Parts: sequence; C-alpha cells; structure tokens
Amino acid sequence: MHPQLELLLEMQDLRSQKQALKEQADEREVESDVFEVEIEEALEELDRKLEELEDRLDPSVQSTYRRVSRSMDRAVVPVLNGVCYGCFIAVPRSWASEAAENEEVRTCENCGRFLYYVD
Amino acid sequence: MQLRDFFSQDCIKLDLEAEDKDEALKELVSLLDLDEKSEGILFKMLKRRENLGSTGIGRGIAIPHCRSLVVNRLRVAFGRKDGGIEFKAIDEQPVENLFLIVAPPLEVSNQYLPVLGKIAQFSKEPDVPERLAELEEPSEFMDLLEEKGV
Repeated sequence: MHPQLELLLEMQDLRSQKQALKEQADEREVESDVFEVEIEEALEELDRKLEELEDRLDPSVQSTYRRVSRSMDRAVVPVLNGVCYGCFIAVPRSWASEAAENEEVRTCENCGRFLYYVD
Repeated sequence: MQLRDFFSQDCIKLDLEAEDKDEALKELVSLLDLDEKSEGILFKMLKRRENLGSTGIGRGIAIPHCRSLVVNRLRVAFGRKDGGIEFKAIDEQPVENLFLIVAPPLEVSNQYLPVLGKIAQFSKEPDVPERLAELEEPSEFMDLLEEKGV
C-alpha cells in the first residue's frame, strides 16, 4: 500500500470516529456511559491527531485532501465491486487490476475523493 | 440479531500469548485474517481509541472497538488471556477476556452499536467472567452465547 494512502486511511478512520462522537447521540452515549469517555476531551484529542497526520501528507496530496475535505464529509472512500462508495459511480475498469494492491494514490474522476480498494 | 451469528470459531482464541495490552490488540487483530498493512492500520486505530479512554469495562473484560475502512463488514473476535494483562481498565484490574469489534465507517446494516451494546450487556451478567474462565473449546463460547440468549 502506498504510504500516503495509508496515512489517508488513518485520517479517514479518525474523521469517522470524530463524526460519530460529534453527531451520533447513541454512539456518544455508549462511549460515555459504558466506557466513561470524556467526549469533549476525546474530540480535542482527535483534532490534534488529525492535524498532526495532515502535516505529514505530501503537498499535492495535502492540497487535494484539504479541498475535498472542505466540501465533502468523507475524503477517502472504498471502491467495492468497481464502484466508488462516495458518489456510487463506476471507476474505470482499467484501474481495477493495478489498483487492487492500493500502490497508487488515486482519486475518483467524478467526485474527487481518494479511493481505497477493498477486496 | 444474535451475537453468536457474528462469531466464528476461528475468531476465538482461548489461549492468547500476549503479555501486554499492545500485544493483545495485535493478537486479536490477527484473528481477523487481514493483510499485513490493514492489520497495522487497524492496530493503530484501536490504540488511538484506547488513548481516548480504556475499553476495559471492569470485571476482567475489555471491548476494544473502532470503525475502519480496512474492513468491509462488521468483524468480531474473542480472546482470553489466563492470568490477565494490564489494560488500564475502569476498575484497574487486569483484563482476561477481550472482545474485539470492528466495523466499516458506513455500515448499511447498522449493526456496530447494537453488537457493542449486546457484548456490554452480556459482560455485565454476574456469572459471565467465571463462565468465560471455564471455557475449554471455542465451541463452548458459542454455546455460552446461545445459553445467555444473546
């Protein structure tokens, strides 16, 4: 896997966690009641970690990431069965075989999100 | 929805070799049979979740969990470490029983929280730690879930 894609995946996972804690009352309740997580502190910690990881992105990837992040809730999405799970448009078939190992950082030609191929 | 429908015997390990928290998380992740890179990403995510607050809920039980793009469906695993490991649990006691839950960020069936809730509920039953300690085969773990009706 491309190291920059690996970084992007980590960032997207953190963003998902942050979004769930921020916007989903049931998830916030479980984390707070069962695991005694201090939600506000956790959100701050997630923001700190995201900033730290963003600084490690290559300039061109970082610029795309920032642009996509501003307008869309998910900057990195899986490709399942040849379909981008951000905009649900098929990605070019020619990408499929070479992209299977995720050795390149690719973006969807339609929505611009970073793509991660899932088996 | 029944918890036992999500577990398979190859994702149950009753003799974890781990000696500390990190090793235990890695060993649990390895039960999911992902590729090496995905295992690494998942381990980091679980560590980051632990940094927000331990998932050791007391009575020797921990439920490490996170959402991650490296899985395309809800995955669970169970591991037992006789003697327990230090996990910074809520009651500050060592953890012997670990339930791992991982789900993709967008999960159509929306099973992540219900599964997490059911495991937490199961873990609170008075005799569960003792019953888990008595297990000799993974199949008995499945039987226990069935007996408890979860």
